Amino acid sequence: MFDKALKAFWKALTPDLVVDEPAKPVLTLDKTVLAALGGSGNIKTEQRVALTRIRVELADITRLDPQALRVAGVPGILSLPGGVVHLVVGL
Amino acid sequence: MVTSQQVELLAPLSGVLMALDNVPDPVFASRLIGDGLCIDPTSQVLCAPLAGVISNLQHTGHAISITHANGVQVLLHIGLDTVNLGGKGFTALVEEGQQVTAGQALIEFDADYIALHARSLLTLMLVVSGEPFVAPSPGGVLVETGQPLLRLQLGQAETVAEVQAGDTQRSQPQRLPNPNGLHARPAAVLAQAAKGFAATLHLHKQGESANAKSLVAIMALQTVCGDSVYLSACGSDAEQALKVLSELLAEGCGESVVAVAPEAQPVAVPEPVDSNELRGVCASPGSAFGHVVQLTESVLQISELATDQRHEREQLQQALAGATAQLQTLCDTTQGKAQAEIFNAHQELLEDPGLLEQAFGLIEQGKSAAFAWQSATHETATLFKGLGNRLLAERALDLDDVGQRVLKLILGVQDCALELPDLAILIAEQLTPSQTATLDTRKVAGFATVGGGASSHVAILARALGLPALCGMSPQVLALANGTEVLLDADQGQLHLEPDPQRIRQLTLQRALQHQRQQQDLQQAAQPASTRDGVRIEVSANIASLAEAEQAVSLGAEGVGLLRSEFLYLERSSPPSHAEQVATYSAIADVVGTGHNLVVRTLDVGGDKPLAYVPMAHEANPFLGMRGIRLCLERPHLLREQFSAILASADLTRLHIMLPMVTQLSELRMARQLLEEQALALGIKTLPKLGIMIEVPAAALMADLFAPEVDFFSIGTNDLTQYTLAMDRDHPRLASQADSLHPAVLRLIATTVKAAHAHGKWVGVCGALASETLAVPLLLGLGVDELSVSVPLIPSIKARVRELDFVACQALAQRVLGLESAGQVRAALQPLVQPMTELES
Repeated sequence: MFDKALKAFWKALTPDLVVDEPAKPVLTLDKTVLAALGGSGNIKTEQRVALTRIRVELADITRLDPQALRVAGVPGILSLPGGVVHLVVGL
Repeated sequence: MVTSQQVELLAPLSGVLMALDNVPDPVFASRLIGDGLCIDPTSQVLCAPLAGVISNLQHTGHAISITHANGVQVLLHIGLDTVNLGGKGFTALVEEGQQVTAGQALIEFDADYIALHARSLLTLMLVVSGEPFVAPSPGGVLVETGQPLLRLQLGQAETVAEVQAGDTQRSQPQRLPNPNGLHARPAAVLAQAAKGFAATLHLHKQGESANAKSLVAIMALQTVCGDSVYLSACGSDAEQALKVLSELLAEGCGESVVAVAPEAQPVAVPEPVDSNELRGVCASPGSAFGHVVQLTESVLQISELATDQRHEREQLQQALAGATAQLQTLCDTTQGKAQAEIFNAHQELLEDPGLLEQAFGLIEQGKSAAFAWQSATHETATLFKGLGNRLLAERALDLDDVGQRVLKLILGVQDCALELPDLAILIAEQLTPSQTATLDTRKVAGFATVGGGASSHVAILARALGLPALCGMSPQVLALANGTEVLLDADQGQLHLEPDPQRIRQLTLQRALQHQRQQQDLQQAAQPASTRDGVRIEVSANIASLAEAEQAVSLGAEGVGLLRSEFLYLERSSPPSHAEQVATYSAIADVVGTGHNLVVRTLDVGGDKPLAYVPMAHEANPFLGMRGIRLCLERPHLLREQFSAILASADLTRLHIMLPMVTQLSELRMARQLLEEQALALGIKTLPKLGIMIEVPAAALMADLFAPEVDFFSIGTNDLTQYTLAMDRDHPRLASQADSLHPAVLRLIATTVKAAHAHGKWVGVCGALASETLAVPLLLGLGVDELSVSVPLIPSIKARVRELDFVACQALAQRVLGLESAGQVRAALQPLVQPMTELES
């Protein structure tokens, strides 16, 4: 609910406090991981988060193959509502 | 006695196991809190690993402890640095004191929110009570909630025999500086230090007390920032324990805490001696005698409903336009730049679509313009206050302020300028920027407010005006009658209601002298700093923001001797973009101008303060690990990007680039090559000056080999001291000995200066030693060419230089280099302190 102007306001007062929108990082997932997630066409967003995780948003969650992901070397998977999946890949 | 009894701990979560050694958090990885394991969760409910009583549940919901009937105590901590979320994303399902069964759900958490807002989700299960166990084979192993994980061997926990004899001693009460109180990490540091003493030790907070050797007990006190606490001790080493632990508490127990102001460390607030004294936290140092003037915001009468929607809409629009115009006038007429910026921001707020949408939406629902506007601003302000961030909460005051301004316009309430008596001590619940802008500050002697803290508006204003201020007063202060004579002693954190006349005279005199001295220093701030015998010393500023650069220039700084570029990188989840870096450096360069030096230090981070987007392996000893230039050369893209952004301001100022933590000549050469490559790519022909920090003894000892290849040296006395003396400056027992005036450190400075001057290069000091008035004659005598000091101290350091005789300083330096200890050096310097400077303490 806070838009740009409000953010600019806080930024003006406390320049170091308001974190800028992170630029969308370009990450290239391993081919086998990509396939297990249902192919690159199935991935809406991907983002490295919280030191150990890759957060992906899938268009169709049913195309995710947990077994194949494990085989591809992703030990932990956390599936969340809205097609969001955390791949726990470690440090 | 050893029994064969065992207790089994179940997995509190599903997830991937990680060895504790690999956890990128020094306190957890070092097992300071206890041994255990770490799980990277793939489930979102934390369950009890064993049956027991909830001995502590942090109010922020991210950590919980369970104590089993046989004494086993287990701490569960969800995520790293999650205390900063202030409870958001966590839902506690149990209460403190409740009995739980093994496997019972304890805390539900929103893994996605935490992943996006905190440093990490890595969850710790630690055996605080210290029973040994056999760790499972870690590394990529998946566990399921409720699966047996650890088998604890009971009856082998270490127990320390405590001495109970003797009288109980108490320390002075003090305010906790930690932004989030004593949460797991600072509590662990305190408990660990307490365990080093034989005495029984307790930490007290408002009638509650906790065994200071127990991490869980300390956490159970649920302290928050600014809480008044004290320690009690009983035993042979009680006195020593109290001294060490009080210092540790004041320093933040290993957490970096924001000092109120350089000369205003959080003061120990004594217990109320009698009812003639109210206590608060020092927000701006000094003391003053004066008369109470209560400032109250009038309560405005507002009717909720309205009939004519169009009329209400017009009213709000008119009031908004009127407020914008008022703020413009304030911007144009106010003297301080910081003040003008605040009003500028207020103007922006009036155009905020989110607020307007909400307010106009309420009008459409049949509410009055005043009611709609008040609800909209209140709601947003409340939201900011509730985020658990002290700085944002204080800024919510600005929102209330601008809200009130518009409201008065809607209701046609006139603000009458307040007639102040001389020597007014202003007392308020909270002072808003609008209130302070209309004050006749010549008549104000000091401030005392119930709300606010060191970064609140009133604190900033008071410090800028050089007036004493107390924040965090008890609401009792609002009941004082106007005109009451009071003595405001901010240094001691006290407001005396019936002050002793002699003390008033003494303080008035002291204040007059101090004021005179400050005014004198300030008036001469723009003058160069030359010794009486005509040796010119450059006094520049240590800064970490554009605002500080502006302030420094206005206080007479001759350039910037240290720009800590870390501020661009910290507390964010992705690196700053090139454009952002360029804009920041250029703006600062512009302020410094072409007449002075701007020394930009390249990124100086390491394992002790890791960046979220630069994964770093855990290091057993980060201060001897991948810090400063070592890290940057390992990840050259970071350095390349930074160089190219810094180079963009090459024409705006006398640009200098400084490399931190340089130990090897090869590091300097590699960095220079990177810099040259970037300059070539940008078509820049004249390279900026390139220098190094002297903070590793190796660099000081080899200064003669570095000197031909650098343009300047700058000595970082804090690190140079800790590396030379092999004493952690934050160590509870060693901090007092880790003194930069140790002759060994001084000899390294002398060596560095000699080598630099032999090659025609200049030497600056940008460490804390340069900001210490006592050390100024010594540094001059050692031949230092530039002193880079913290911004508020620029006028007084310049004034100190003007009092000195260079030849005498040189003789002093030679004498001091032959002394035995830092204590002897201090004793030799003390007689030189002018009588007036003791007022600065």
